[in-house]
Order: sequence, then C-alpha cells, then structure tokens
Amino acid sequence: MEPGDSTKQARAAAQLRKGVLEYCVLALMRDRPRYGVELLHALEDSGALATSQGTVYPLLSRLRRDDLVTTTWQESASGPPRRYYALTDSGRAALDEFTRVWPGFRNAVDAFLTTPHPHPHPGDRA
Amino acid sequence: MKTTADPVRDYLSAVERESSALPADRRQELVADLAEHIEVTRAERPDTTIAEVLAELGDPRTIAATALAETGTGTGPGPTGTPTRSDAHAPVRRGKVHPLVPLLMLTLSLPFTMVFDMGPDAAFNPGTVFGFLFRVTGAVLLCTSVHWTAVQKTTGVLLTVIVPITFFVTINLITGHATEEIPALLSSLGILALITGTALWLWRTRRA
Repeated sequence: MEPGDSTKQARAAAQLRKGVLEYCVLALMRDRPRYGVELLHALEDSGALATSQGTVYPLLSRLRRDDLVTTTWQESASGPPRRYYALTDSGRAALDEFTRVWPGFRNAVDAFLTTPHPHPHPGDRA
Repeated sequence: MKTTADPVRDYLSAVERESSALPADRRQELVADLAEHIEVTRAERPDTTIAEVLAELGDPRTIAATALAETGTGTGPGPTGTPTRSDAHAPVRRGKVHPLVPLLMLTLSLPFTMVFDMGPDAAFNPGTVFGFLFRVTGAVLLCTSVHWTAVQKTTGVLLTVIVPITFFVTINLITGHATEEIPALLSSLGILALITGTALWLWRTRRA
C-alpha cells in the first residue's frame, strides 16, 4: 500500500501480525473486560504487535459482529464513558483453540529456522 | 494539506470520505470508535498534542482500507473453522450444498417410503428404493457439510438413519411382514417424529 517505505522485512512482520493480532486482542480480554485505548496501549507495549492504532477498531468491530466479543459502556472517573470489550463464550472458545494450536505452530517454524542445513560445506566456515 | 481550526473534525471527515465504500452503519461505527478513542486519549494524556494523538491513530486511508478488508468476513467461520482471512473482499466460505438439502432428504425419506409402498409382493417398490437413496444421499451430504461439527453429524446420522433402520429391521424380524396396520402406522409416525425432531435440532444448531 505504501511502496515507498515498506521493506521486505516490514512486510514479513505485517503478514505475521495480520494472522495473530485478533487472537492477541482476545487474549488481552481473557481476565477482564478492557476498553479500546487500554487494548491499544497493551499492543504498543508488546513492540512486535504495535500497529497503526486506528486499524484495530475495524478489527474490534468485526469481532463484535462475529459475536466473539460484546461491548458495554462504563462511566469513568476521568473523561468520557469507555466502551469495554469482553469475551463471549465463542470468543473464549476461539482463544482456547488458538492457544491449543499455537505452540505446535511456533515450534514448527522455529525448527525450520534453526535446524542446520544437512549439506554443510567445510569451506563455508572460513 | 488543508488545515482548519478543528483537526479532529478534519481527520474524522477524511476517514469518512476514504471509507465511503463501507455500508453507512459500518462507517458511522468506525468514525464513532475513532472519535471516542481521541476523546479518551485526550482525557488520559492531557499533555499530548492533538496532532500526536492523530498521528498515532494513523493514516485515514490505511484505517479505511483495513475496515473495507474486514467487511465481508462478518459471517466467516466460527471458532472451530479456519482463521478468518482479512484480505479485501474475501469471499465467505460456505458449504456447496444448502444445509436444508440433507435435512429435507433425511426427513422426507420415510414419508416417501410410506406413501409409495406397493406392498411386500411388488416386484419393484419405488418407495423403498428411493427412500433408501434419499437416506444415503442425505447422510452423505450431512457428513460432508461444513455447517455442523463432527459430533452433531454423528448424532444426526445415528438418530435419522441408524436408529430408524434398526427399529424397522427389528420389528420385521420379530413380527414378520404381517404386522397389523395400526401399530405399524403408529411406530412409523413415532420414528418420523424422531427424524423430524433431529432435523429441526440440526437446523437450529447449524453454523452460518
């Protein structure tokens, strides 16, 4: 989309993020409901999952339409009321499913990346 | 870039303009979410300038593109399905056959057998033959459908095919073909109720 500043490295990170972001967002709601700005801060603090903040709202909107999360308004001591996002039963099921498959996925990728190639040339080490 | 006295307003109308391809309610929801975000951020971090808040939110075009990509996946596979892709305009994955088809075939196979029954002495009995074909096709379509889980499929086949067939075979073995009309009809109706009930349950619990 922005051919000017998207290196191949950035594309790899963006692709990965696209796949796991929604599950990380669901995971953030596992223990308690969270409001939008709070979710974005947590993503930002993670580093690797930091993304253009505004793009998370369309994702949250889809999670709500897919009935993976519900929202409730709650008053706040400071500023306007916050819209809190909470997991539904199917949201929790989706998160559990992802939690189940992720370690295998992660280990498989790690194995590909770290296994030494089977045909080392002695001269390569020089 | 044109700037007016109210950068937030400019930003939100840019989002609105860029996302004009979205359905109106989606667009309004997106703008409301972003407006709320700006308000909350300003309340929580009063020292941050509005320009910084907007820069963190990102380019309206990128946000609109993401929103468009998320549209059309609203009825995507549920938790047990493959992860929902968010590529722009990704087609919704659906079963090739409407979920009503296997359910109707399974339900109608029995009345079909009853109505077109030519009696045990007929050389060719269309009721039995087509009823059987309906049942087999319905069971296969049910099992290959994406609308139900494995447990639902097993229960469905058990209650609409295995139990009725076992029941009728047992009845025939015990009493022979010379069953009296009334009890035979009553047991057929009972089994029909079982099949219909199961089909209704499957219809209600199907996945979109």
